Parts: sequence; structure tokens; C-alpha cells
Amino acid sequence: MLRSDRFLAYALILPVVAAVVAFVVGPTYNVATLSLTQVVMGMERGFGTLGNFKALAADPVFGLVLKNTAIWILGGTFLCVTVGLAVGTYLAIDSRMTGWLRALILLPWVLPDVVTAMAWKWMLHGQVGIIGQTLQNTGLTEDTVSFLGDPQLVMWVLVVVLIWRKMPLVALILCAAIRSVPDDQMEAARMDGANAVERFRFVTLPNIAFSLTAVTVISMIWITAEFALPWIMTGGGPANASQIMATYIYQQSFEFFNWGVASAMSVINLVMLASIVALYLYINRRSWASEGSK
Amino acid sequence: MGSVALRNIRKSYGAVEVLHGIDLDIKEGEFTVLVGPSGCGKSTLLRSIAGLETISGGDIAIDDRVINALVPKERDIAMVFQNYALYPHMTVAKNMGFSLRLAKEPQAEIDRKVRAAAEILDLTALLDRYPRQLSGGQRQRVAMGRAIVRDPKVFLFDEPLSNLDAKLRVQMRSEIKELHQRLKTTTIYVTHDQIEAMTMADKIVVMRGGHVEQIGTPLELYDSPASVFVAGFIGSPSMNFIPAHATGTTLETETGMPLGETPAPLGHNQQVIAGFRPEDIRLSDTGIPAKVALIEPTGAETQLTLRTDEASVIMTTRERVTQTPGGLVHFSVTPGKLHAFDAETELTLAGARQ
Repeated sequence: MLRSDRFLAYALILPVVAAVVAFVVGPTYNVATLSLTQVVMGMERGFGTLGNFKALAADPVFGLVLKNTAIWILGGTFLCVTVGLAVGTYLAIDSRMTGWLRALILLPWVLPDVVTAMAWKWMLHGQVGIIGQTLQNTGLTEDTVSFLGDPQLVMWVLVVVLIWRKMPLVALILCAAIRSVPDDQMEAARMDGANAVERFRFVTLPNIAFSLTAVTVISMIWITAEFALPWIMTGGGPANASQIMATYIYQQSFEFFNWGVASAMSVINLVMLASIVALYLYINRRSWASEGSK
Repeated sequence: MGSVALRNIRKSYGAVEVLHGIDLDIKEGEFTVLVGPSGCGKSTLLRSIAGLETISGGDIAIDDRVINALVPKERDIAMVFQNYALYPHMTVAKNMGFSLRLAKEPQAEIDRKVRAAAEILDLTALLDRYPRQLSGGQRQRVAMGRAIVRDPKVFLFDEPLSNLDAKLRVQMRSEIKELHQRLKTTTIYVTHDQIEAMTMADKIVVMRGGHVEQIGTPLELYDSPASVFVAGFIGSPSMNFIPAHATGTTLETETGMPLGETPAPLGHNQQVIAGFRPEDIRLSDTGIPAKVALIEPTGAETQLTLRTDEASVIMTTRERVTQTPGGLVHFSVTPGKLHAFDAETELTLAGARQ
């Protein structure tokens, strides 16, 4: 009886365990060993070396990639959340206008990545892009600006497109959180003499703190994993000026077949992501909202 | 300080008017209770005084200063909400001191005032707790503390006890009344519970459908209700009503049973609604015959439901009841305790006062 029960229990969790091993643990182990293996032209040449990491450290492009990735992830997340918070706060106001906008705002989010990337690529094109043309026609710029061709500009232009694409959901989540702040707390704050800014600072923000940290971490993970948008729009160019971790890993493994180096970067990426999640869990445990009612 | 004057207050939501011209004078230091069934506009009126709703017409004045256009913070009013509305991320002390902090008072001063208020409300030991760690009654006291520290001209209470259990409600009722006797701050208190109104108020305002039905002291309302509505609303169990007509100086039921002397001069055969309270009924050998339908002892007194041919009548008595359900009795109304209301307007035709 007891034996068969135990057998049944193991049998029931077996599919999940198998799936996790096959799709999470396995590949992770594979990448980790690969990162410590010397690979030349797709051929494995000896395990147990830090050569891949040393090669990365010596690679001048990798420094640029780290800088670009920082702009991409940190700048992207920060702007995504702040813009999302501003838009969400506006959408939380009840009016016919915001009712429509709440539905419309999801539009960028439901388009496929490739469509978004192509559309923006052409709109931002140096010669025929509508945005550059419009700026020139209205006299704001003397010549058309090549948004994706300017190494100084390209990373930030990518971030703007990223915000356009990812911000709506952040705004909607925060809008929902703001709308669930109890009215009577807002009214109590009004009676206590708080103006609109103080009400936002002392009542709204603490009440949505939980959603805010969650949405920050989630966007950070989304943005780290976002590949199609930068790859299709710039392919890392010009001259690696918009090369980020995701695109560089892809290039190293599937264009140059440097699987060892690419795996080393993936490991670095994984460690970064894991620390972000750890930070999230830490903040979450400490926040008053997660402590529940005791 | 803190007299409140309301002049012809009107409030509409779109085309729907919910307050139809309210006039009310509240003297400094008075404990006024707005009472009425849900939807009567009492909460809307309170929120209009607070400044949380903008009124569509009329004037609100505190100490003869019209405050219609002022935002809540400039009105010098504190409010206690039904759901306490404490800030969950702030400790009790922070919650209570929040208004002072916004007013940029020095920290030492805030601490002093918060401690003084906590002392009054017996919250000193809880100052570092968070609202979620408190019981309902404690939260309610913190909400009151938040109002007290500001030392406002007027306190507003919006059904503050309706989320508490029955026993705690009675206790908090006394606490609020004691607090008022101690601070003597003008208080406006909204409730749907007529017992709260009766026990706490210096002055009761009975509202119905956006109108003021009657204003008076608890006993004035009890003894001389101005309408069938007030008569039925104040007092528990409610007053009994029976259709009647005048015959000479006597009120008779439809079937000719004499109820007693008319409380006011009435025309011959004038149709009225006769009203009498459950405790003003005596069982006697003569009088109106009825069947005992139900006997409900509550200890101190017993409630009997009597059925006549025309109506059900509730009576209460402090005497021990020997009747059994189904038994036949005769009852009469204590002389001078009969009320008469106009059958059409349901307004009083003057009634018992003793």
C-alpha cells in the first residue's frame, strides 16, 4: 500500500521532472561545459580551459557589447517603467478618452516582433524613412538623420523602439494597480491635507510598490531576452555600435561558430539574470506588501 | 469653535438630484447624528461638508465662513471613514502624524501630539505596529487618533462602527461619546442604525430620499415624530400603525374598535393612520380582541406579536408573560400615547408628548 503510493507519487511528478531536466537543466549543463571547452571551427578541442573567458576579456568588441547591453537593459528597463508609470497614472483616470486608450495602447504589444522591427527600420531609414523626412521637411534638421546608421545614436534609437513596444503592458499593469488603490485611503489623504503629488508619493506609490518591483524585474528579463528587434533592425551594426549580448552571442555561435566563446557569454548572461531575480526576491521579501496580514 | 451652517444644499449627479435642499444648523460642540436608510443622502451630505464632493447649490459655512470653494485641507475638518482608511505601509504613529507631517510641523511637535492622542485613545503600546497587526476596534481607534491629532474644528464620522461586531460596536459607541464629552469638538456622525443615533446624539437629523424629515433631540423624535417615516424609523421594535378614523373625540379602527382619545382635534370621520409604540400597549380584560401569535422573551422584557382581524401589533412588556401562543387576549393603548398621522401626507396631526 505504502510502496505503491510512493510509486504513484514519483510517477506523477516524473513528466515535469523529465521536462525540466530535458529543457532546462540539460541545455544549461551543456552550455556550461561548452563554455569551458576550446572550440575551433565547430570542432571541440579539449575541456577544462578558461580560454573562452580570456578571449572575451581580450576582445575589444566585448567591452562595447557590455556597454551597449547596459544601455539596453538598464536604460530600457528604467525608461520602460518610468514612462509606463506616467502613462499608467494617466490611464487610471476615469474618462471616455482613457477608456478608449486603455484598449488602443496594447496595439504595439500585439504586433509580431518582426513586423515591428521592419516597420521601424523603414520609418527610421536614412534616405527614405518617414521620420527623417518629416524632420527635414519641417526644418527641424538640415539633412535627414540616419537614426540607425549613426553609432552615437543607434543604441538610444533602439531603446526608444523597445519602449514603444514593451511599455504598453507595463502601463496597463501599473494602471490596474493604481486603480486598485483603495479610494478611502486617497480620500483620507485629501482630508489629511495631501496635494496630488503628495497623494501619489505617500499613498499611490506605497500601495503599488509590489506591482512596481514585479513589473520592473519582468521588463528587465523581457528586455534581456529580446533578440529579434535589435537583430532585424541593425544586426548589431554599424560596426558593432549596437551589438548587445543577445545579438553578439547569436553572431558568435551561428555566424562564426565560436560556440565556446558564445557559451561563455551565455554563462555571463545567466549569472546576470540570476542576480537580477535574486535582487527581486530579496526586495519582495522585505517589502511590507508581501508580508500579508498577520 | 466650530459651528456649522448648511443652507439649501443641493447635489446632483448628472440629471439625478440626490440632495434636495438641506438646511441645518449645528451649534458649536454639538454631537449631531445624520440617520436614515441607505440611499437617503446622509453620506453624500457628510462628504459634501468634508469637501470630498462638490455641491451643486447652496452654502456650507463653518463659524460663519462659507467654505464651498475650499479644498478639504483648508476646511479644518477631520474625518473618520467606515473602512478606517489607514495607510497600510505606515505605523500607527506615522498614520496619526501624517497630516502634521504634511503641514511641515517639527518632528518633536508631531511626536508630542501623537503621543497625547495615543494616550487619550489607549494606543500608546501600539504606536510602532502596522495597521494589519491591529484588531478592528484598534484600527478604528487609530482612525480616530488621526482625526484628534489635528485638533480640527469639526469631526466627521462616516458609519464608523458598521464593520465591527455587535459587542465591540456597543463599546466603541460609548468610547466615541466619552471622547466627545472630553474634547467637546463639534461632531457630525452618519449612521443607518437608529440605536446609535439615539444613544449618542445631542441632535438627530432624520433623512429620507435627499430631504430632511425631522430634526430634534433623541427624545423629541421619539415622543413627537413628525411623520410616519420618523415614527417607524426611530425606536425598536417599531411603532405600530393601524388605519383609523375619528369618531367624535375617539379614534376607531376600520372595524370600529376604539383605540383611544384623538391626540388632536380631528374632523368627523377623518381618515388617519393611528400609531402607538409597543411599550404603550396594555393587556386588559376589555379592549381590542387579538390572538397571541408569537412570544419572544429577551430576558428583561418580552415581545408579543398580537393578531387582530385587521393587523399585526407588536407589544413589549416588562412583566412575566403567562399567555401561550394561540391564546385570546384584549389590549388597549395607554391613554395619551396615541399618535395620529394624516392618511395622505403621512405627516403628524400632533400626537402624544408625555
